[in-house]
Amino acid sequence: MSQETIRNFSIIAHIDHGKSTLADRLIETTGTLSKREMEEQILDSLDLERERGITIKAQAVRLEYKAKDGNEYMLNLIDTPGHVDFTYEVSRALQACEGALLVIDATQGIEAQTLANVYLAMEHDLAIIPVINKVDLPSADPERVKHEIEEILGIDASEAILCSAKTGIGIDEVLEAIVQRIPAPRGDSSRPLQALVFDSKFDAYKGVVLYVRVINGNIRKGMRIKMMATEKVFEVTEVGCFVPKPVSIEILEEGQVGFLAAGIKNVRDARVGDTVTNNDNPADVPLPGYRKATPMVYCGLYPLDNSDYDNLRDALEKLQLNDASLVFEPETSVALGFGFRCGFLGLLHMDVMKERLEREYNLSLLTTAPNVIYEVFRTNGTVEMVDNPSLFPDPTVIDHVEEPFVNATIIVPKDYVGAVMELSQEKRGEYDNMTYLDETRVMIHYSLPLSEIIYDYFDKLKSCSRGYASLDYELHGYKPSNLVKVDILLNGEPVDALSAIVHKERATYRGRQLVEKLRSLIPRQMFEIPVQAAIGNKVIARETVSAMRKDVLAKCYGGDISRKHKLLEKQKEGKKRMKQVGTVELPQEAFMAILKMDDNK
Amino acid sequence: MNKWEQIQGIYIHIPFCLQKCLYCDFASFPQQSREIMEKYTDNLCQEIQQRALVIPVNPQATIYFGGGTPTVLPMEYITKIVKTLKSTGLWKNPAEATIEANPGTISRESLLAYRKLGFDRISFGIQSLKNEELMAMGRIHSSLEALEAINLAKEAGFLRINADLIYGYPGQTLGSITNSLQTLIEQGIKHLSVYGLVVEDGTPLCQKLNTGKLMLPSEDDSGDMYDFIVKYLPQRGYKRYEISNYAFCGEESLHNMVYWQYLPYVGFGVSACSFNGKMRLTNTNNIVKYLQGKEPIIEELELTTRLEEYLFMGLRTNFGINFSVARKRFNLDIMKIYEKEITECQSKGLLKVDDLQSGMNLTELGMRFGNQVFEKFL
Repeated sequence: MSQETIRNFSIIAHIDHGKSTLADRLIETTGTLSKREMEEQILDSLDLERERGITIKAQAVRLEYKAKDGNEYMLNLIDTPGHVDFTYEVSRALQACEGALLVIDATQGIEAQTLANVYLAMEHDLAIIPVINKVDLPSADPERVKHEIEEILGIDASEAILCSAKTGIGIDEVLEAIVQRIPAPRGDSSRPLQALVFDSKFDAYKGVVLYVRVINGNIRKGMRIKMMATEKVFEVTEVGCFVPKPVSIEILEEGQVGFLAAGIKNVRDARVGDTVTNNDNPADVPLPGYRKATPMVYCGLYPLDNSDYDNLRDALEKLQLNDASLVFEPETSVALGFGFRCGFLGLLHMDVMKERLEREYNLSLLTTAPNVIYEVFRTNGTVEMVDNPSLFPDPTVIDHVEEPFVNATIIVPKDYVGAVMELSQEKRGEYDNMTYLDETRVMIHYSLPLSEIIYDYFDKLKSCSRGYASLDYELHGYKPSNLVKVDILLNGEPVDALSAIVHKERATYRGRQLVEKLRSLIPRQMFEIPVQAAIGNKVIARETVSAMRKDVLAKCYGGDISRKHKLLEKQKEGKKRMKQVGTVELPQEAFMAILKMDDNK
Repeated sequence: MNKWEQIQGIYIHIPFCLQKCLYCDFASFPQQSREIMEKYTDNLCQEIQQRALVIPVNPQATIYFGGGTPTVLPMEYITKIVKTLKSTGLWKNPAEATIEANPGTISRESLLAYRKLGFDRISFGIQSLKNEELMAMGRIHSSLEALEAINLAKEAGFLRINADLIYGYPGQTLGSITNSLQTLIEQGIKHLSVYGLVVEDGTPLCQKLNTGKLMLPSEDDSGDMYDFIVKYLPQRGYKRYEISNYAFCGEESLHNMVYWQYLPYVGFGVSACSFNGKMRLTNTNNIVKYLQGKEPIIEELELTTRLEEYLFMGLRTNFGINFSVARKRFNLDIMKIYEKEITECQSKGLLKVDDLQSGMNLTELGMRFGNQVFEKFL
């Protein structure tokens, strides 16, 4: 097949702007799947993705399209995640394409995440086709959106396509534009094989399945391939493409997108971003790869039932096969026993992973509050990366501490600028600059500690802007901060899993809030429980969970044994959700208390 | 014959009353016509005659008429039920025959009649001796009427009288509880059941609490009431023989002991339960369906269920669990099966095993936190 009739493209969009709906409509319109076969939003293949309306993993689908010029085209759609946590995956997908559909909600306009994705697309020199979606809605304002596209993104909006993925308006135009405005791949069939691995997936039967974009040469079943970074050699057992269910094909040629299986047992042997070449006729140089995704958020994961430790490790290993950005290593907590310190791309990533562990592996887990990695400079000149607050060294041996900062982009209607700035200031943000996007909307840049974003910045941003603000951020680097560790003591015993790193000026205030919150979260028990916050040896706040006075069924007679039996079972079940720390039973929420504090109180 | 192989108690449910109390969750239907009561009596008698009992009845099995308010049922119907019990051999020579009564529904004559039928114990729903509290509970009698009723019962020859009391009700205070208890003690009542209020879903009380029309005493206030009750009554000679029950020696309720020892019993009437040692039968709590002859629900109880229930019922009393009885009855060694749980509860001071290791029972702390122990055995 000639490369002239191949088009490789992605869809980039802010969350909720209709990316998945558009993808579904393209699949349906090209007849790749009949309406009956269509499951809503077919590309989100994890249950969780469908429930949350988000895409986490990149996916590739081959569409066959007969264009108005009479030719048959092969359109390869590479779906991308829309959440800031997964920017890294977007960048991978874009590298496998020549063009991108930029989907913007006609009722919302450009959002912070749109911007970030467009810049990524531009970095990769992609042809960008603006698609203004949801034009069927009464509140749609395509003219304003066009204006924004030109003003903010500097993209010619005269050829922006007005569409409604929901009703089908403009879908044909989108397909034609893909053919006409996105360049065909320019691979060379005579050169040795170079194929970019843009994602991978572990399959229990086939081993690691690599999602590849062939740049030069071709791949066939039986070929001996070499992974250029790891130098491992495998024999290809299957090549195929997604339509959108995976199907085997004979050959993947230059310019095409598909998958290959080669009996690869270990995901580490075939890393995403690596280049596949022909072992018998290797390419000289690999394709430019990717940066490794760096986890930004860490937390402890502990099984509620200590005997589940091995199951948790197995489950984490299995998840890591599909998601190399997940990192974990064993850790021990005095309070919680054996568990793992896990690193995630962001909070959503953390949530999704925890939920998958609980659902797919049937584990009951306890998560400690997420934190960032601190760089601790000791007085003896050594530097240490601390990913667990409880391991924060004693203040006397610390020279200074640095924490990660992000460049945050906030887009918000101008009426809320004051509120956003006040919030950002309060969260230790450093103001950078502000631009008017049009008469009503403003883009603000702040440098913010990542830890504040993890705490509650995003929730607060949403509530102070009545939901209108959008946020995007990228890691910028480390800056010195005046940080201290606040320890929490229950019954006079420190609980390492509850320690938190906070800014020194707010330590007392935070400590007081934290113990208040803990007092309200810890259920009364048979004895009184003092809850204290301390910095070093100095107690800065104290509250008491008073003792439960009684806990006994007042009545139980012949007629209600069965009912009372169930009642007791229910009470027992409730306790299984608690973690025994020393003599105290703690609910999961207690470990998240630091995230749930109300500053306005 | 082992006592767990014989029916030891017989329960009759009378689902009628003059007015539902705000907290009441029992199957009871206020202000029913005489026809309904008559029909109910007929059905009940039929049920008594037709129920096939798979195990023998102890001739001394206890009798208990509960409700509702059994004393709203016209005397001729009570008489008919008693006669049916006697003619079927269920009421032979009961160790105890109790009738529950509302102080607002009895008279000198009716009390004498109950005595004549063979009832030797009467259980009054007193709940409080403060009129404001009685009003707030939706009781139909005053404090004075309650005391009068007790006197009448004594005069009619009831030597064994129980009074039910509630603590922790909205508006109640430590002072009012103290007064109510004191007054009853002065009356010479030898058995007291003192229940912490349980707010059941769907009751008018629950609704009033949810809408803020009434407020429960704080956890600490009802905790103080509890502390007072468990200390005060034993000082006055009442032994705390079950979590909520206090009696002079020998005055314990034999019928209720049947339940707590998880011995077989049979119950007739709406919502009544029967237990033969292996199976549980539960009658519908819908009076219309009962009158249409709806069959009881039958549950086969697995050994683990029976063992769990045996333990959490048995531990309610100060007699606790006797290991050799349990071994004989279930062919199991409780000390072995629950070694870890028993040790844990002991170390927390909730449970004690006697020096001879012949049995275990709750400590005073254990009675206060009974659920924490019961759960461990589930």
